[in-house]
Amino acid sequence: MSGPLEGVRGIVLTQAWAGTYCTSLLAMAGADIVQVEVRKRLDSWRGSYDGPIPAALTSIPTAKHAWNCNALYNSVNLGKRTVTLDLAIPEGMAVFKRLLEHADIVAENFSPRVLGNLGIAYEQMCEIKPDVILASLSAYGHSGPWENVPGIGGTIEPTSGMSALLGYRDGPPLNSGQMYPDAVAGLNGFAAILAALHYRDRTGQGQYVDLSMQEANLAFVGDAALEYQVTGQQRARLGNRHLTFAPHGIFATLPVEDGHEQWVALAAESEAQWAALCEVAGHLEWRDDARWATNAARKANEDDLEAAIAAWAATEHRDDLAARLSAAGVIAAPVLDSHEVAADRQLRERGFIVEVDHPEAGRWPQTGFPVHLGRTPGGVRRPAPLQGQHNLEVLQELLGMSEDEYEALVRLGVSGVGPPD
Amino acid sequence: MQETVAPKALDDIRVLDISTSVGGAWCSRFLADLGADVIAIEPRAGYPVRALAPLAEDGTSIPAMYTLANKRSLSLDVDSTRGRKLFVDLMRRSDVVVESTTPGTLEAWGIDYPRLESRRKGIILASITPHGQSGELAAAPGNDLTAFARSGWASINGLGGREPLNGSAFQASYNAGVAGAAGVLAALHHRMAHPGEGQHVDIAEVEVMASAFAPALLGSQYSGEVRPRKPRIDMTSGPVPVKDGHFALTISRAHFWRDAMNLLGLEDLAEDKRYETSWYRQQHRDEFVNRVQDKMAGWTKMDLFEELAIRRVVAGPVLTMQELSENEHLRERGFWTKPANAPDGATYPGAAFKLGKTPWSLDRRMPRPGEHTLEVLREIAGITEDHLLGLLESGVIGPEEHE
Repeated sequence: MSGPLEGVRGIVLTQAWAGTYCTSLLAMAGADIVQVEVRKRLDSWRGSYDGPIPAALTSIPTAKHAWNCNALYNSVNLGKRTVTLDLAIPEGMAVFKRLLEHADIVAENFSPRVLGNLGIAYEQMCEIKPDVILASLSAYGHSGPWENVPGIGGTIEPTSGMSALLGYRDGPPLNSGQMYPDAVAGLNGFAAILAALHYRDRTGQGQYVDLSMQEANLAFVGDAALEYQVTGQQRARLGNRHLTFAPHGIFATLPVEDGHEQWVALAAESEAQWAALCEVAGHLEWRDDARWATNAARKANEDDLEAAIAAWAATEHRDDLAARLSAAGVIAAPVLDSHEVAADRQLRERGFIVEVDHPEAGRWPQTGFPVHLGRTPGGVRRPAPLQGQHNLEVLQELLGMSEDEYEALVRLGVSGVGPPD
Repeated sequence: MQETVAPKALDDIRVLDISTSVGGAWCSRFLADLGADVIAIEPRAGYPVRALAPLAEDGTSIPAMYTLANKRSLSLDVDSTRGRKLFVDLMRRSDVVVESTTPGTLEAWGIDYPRLESRRKGIILASITPHGQSGELAAAPGNDLTAFARSGWASINGLGGREPLNGSAFQASYNAGVAGAAGVLAALHHRMAHPGEGQHVDIAEVEVMASAFAPALLGSQYSGEVRPRKPRIDMTSGPVPVKDGHFALTISRAHFWRDAMNLLGLEDLAEDKRYETSWYRQQHRDEFVNRVQDKMAGWTKMDLFEELAIRRVVAGPVLTMQELSENEHLRERGFWTKPANAPDGATYPGAAFKLGKTPWSLDRRMPRPGEHTLEVLREIAGITEDHLLGLLESGVIGPEEHE
């Protein structure tokens, strides 16, 4: 399946989540993404050299190296090739600079000072590859007083205004269940690089993309930011409620046999949906109840409304209820847990959840490319790479390097595989 | 302030947005911000997004102000025969169409992708819907809440013992909008290399959220355990109380632990090497969280943030929108801005990223419904004044009159 970015190459220095997700999306769109990694300092999402093999992988004979069997790394690096190169060693930097000549795109998510310290800031890259697109995904961007303040998803969530908005109505600000701001930054970085690529297609000119995770995430709560600017009010935490519509919530349904909790999400965004919901509930009297006769009335009496829905939902089976509501045109869904998402029929039928064979970790369901393109679909062409898996392949293919030359780099500690000697 | 006008990345493309959702609106806003000529084709009865709360004092929808900025507005009912004919005229002079109808609707209207393509070779159609164009749920209604429910996110947001938690406001919509914009740009790249080859871009809001859920999804496969919600709020799981608000002290590297504990005056914890590894801290959290949080409670959030930043320890104060609007860093980066055509109006949040040569810009405030109806039809479709008047009088174009 050829993707729209067939023939585009990225030589990328991405790590952890935001950067690697960004460049994995490029790979799934068909670009040849070569991720440069350093043996001396493992990508934190590969874990550590002496880390444990995950529980479900211990019976898989190929699952030998913890750093190749980390779910974090393997989930956000689909479709890439990797080479190990130590850029702090002059011979390693020399190889990187030769690879750069073959790059349309470079992406990185180091602290802002790193590229400059290595002598490969944007201007310096342009001397080697004048039309390169360089994308930097950093915590606070490459200018301003916080330029060098370190940050990760778990700290950008509070500093972008997101945490203040996430939470129960009676509770404190929360962070999401996993570091959501990384995903927001990675997706925006992907689209930003494609915009820069479009401009390069038109003019032959590359450019520098400076993505601040704080700003990308603040833009995603931009309606609440604008609300403050217009009204002077900080938006309250809403739990599962909606500012406009009611009902809009998540309700417990009957537990399954082992007592495992089950929840359904439901909402009515029109009078027709509300009427249909009352019908599915078998509570036609709700429609005639003055407290709930209009959306405005339902918003004003939302506590009562939710209590009535909760009492009814608690007697229903989750999947059956969600299916009946959906069939009646009501907005509804089962709340799926992480295993259920992996098994979800809709996502599998569309080829979005796919079984991926990883050379060490084995065969597992993974999320694929969330952009379906009719003519050039792209998709998952490779599993996440093993550390250094494509060292010789890439260096031969792009630089015409011989095996002897490669072995010399390994002896210098520039390349190679596994823990540093 | 700028002496010369900077070039724009996308000022060679025209986008018709017939979507009626926040996801569709954000897709075309993304393209508009980088220079695309985006024409929002609003139903004559009004764009549903314009009804979304919160409202300004004058009744203007703030989500609409945000998501419709930088576009021109044309009032036209695409579900009427005469309206559709004008839409097709405009489409033949455009590069991209964005839509959000329930799958099957465009076909019923006679403007599905094959038929659009037969009239405009190379057209790119982006469909942004809750569950995508195919599969058993294609026609099922959905919104941001159901995308969080079906993608796994709700199951890990919030606290164990409480109900699963939605993300705030329009997270799935914004994610799907950016994914749609990326799909359009990828399709444009393909079309540049293969002239005349457009395509249909199919975005499912639930899939974009599930894509962002990937680490938890694969993690729970490898561990064999369903990923639960966090059992409680403490410093290992999110923001905790400080003197004037809440603060996240996210310890990962060993030196973060040492430096943070020394700053807080907890030298015995700082020197205990066992706490430098994250698995040990997770298992022994009860031994330190109360002590650390008691110390943190004596600090203001910005003092603690600044002292930790000097030590290069990652940390985050929970900031409010007021604090962010006054934030010196964002001000120096020029984040907050006003639409060029409304310098006395509201201040908007700015760009998600900076493109060095072709900067993001906010040129237009949200248009009034149908504000550019005549201008667009005159300029792009080449419709004469007489004809325009006829269309207006017969109620094909222009916003519906409200009492």
